[in-house]
Amino acid sequence: MSKYYICFAFVVFLFASCFSVKEKPKAYTVEIKNMKFVPDDITVKQGDTIIWVNHDMMAHDVTEEGSKQWTSSIIPSGGSWKMGVTAAANYYCSIHVVMKGKIRLQ
Amino acid sequence: MKMIKTLASSSIITMALSVVFTATLLAQTPKLNDAEVASVAVTANQIDINYATVAKAKSKNVDILKFAETMSNDHKAVIAQAVALVTKLKVTPKDNAVSKKLMADAEVTKKTLLSKSGKAFDKAYIDNEVAYHKAVIGAVEGLLIPSSKNAELKALLEKVVPALKVHLSHAEMVQMKFK
Ligand SMILES: [Cu+2]
Repeated sequence: MSKYYICFAFVVFLFASCFSVKEKPKAYTVEIKNMKFVPDDITVKQGDTIIWVNHDMMAHDVTEEGSKQWTSSIIPSGGSWKMGVTAAANYYCSIHVVMKGKIRLQ
Repeated sequence: MKMIKTLASSSIITMALSVVFTATLLAQTPKLNDAEVASVAVTANQIDINYATVAKAKSKNVDILKFAETMSNDHKAVIAQAVALVTKLKVTPKDNAVSKKLMADAEVTKKTLLSKSGKAFDKAYIDNEVAYHKAVIGAVEGLLIPSSKNAELKALLEKVVPALKVHLSHAEMVQMKFK
């Protein structure tokens, strides 16, 4: 009985591993320019990465807006910051609080 | 006597008027050359850094302190870019009527700010930041950009406008808390 069960489970596992050819995580870029996140609304899959590149002459940061769960800390002019996305979020620049962006999960 | 008292308590109106006068002066001034544009740009940024220095020394309010820190850092970044550009272009910023008037008005405003403390200071500072950024945006768009002949100087000024507008929105947001 248990032998059959293990056998069955194994077959299911083989099948599953054959068909769940996982998509490779993608890398997205959000540019920070003219005091805006471009694009300011981005849709990604869990596990994808986003890199924020600061093209402005002033420093910015990327900070989760609700409860400040994560932050890039200061990104100097010409600098960048990369994050693997685990959850959807509204974010903002805590230095220039009116600059806002959104990450959606597909 | 009553007149004097009214005058003394109207320092905030004086501050607001001085911004308006500055804006009027800027609107009436004949076009400036690039060396004069550079001087006005650096002066306008330096004035906001000076206000921020006063705020950092006098305020205990978190929003005010954070805003002042941003003003100080951002306007220093603009000056650094402006200095790098005029160095490259071999232009020496030239003092002129507009930059002198800006500085003179700012000295008056700074004295008014220094005479206040606590919440009255915070409110006066942020009110002035809103008025000042509006005046500077007007001056950059209405006088400095149209006056500048050099393409890179013009491009730099155009790049500064969005920052000034974000500063203005930020200032207005902080100002709401002092209504
Ligand atoms: Cu500013």
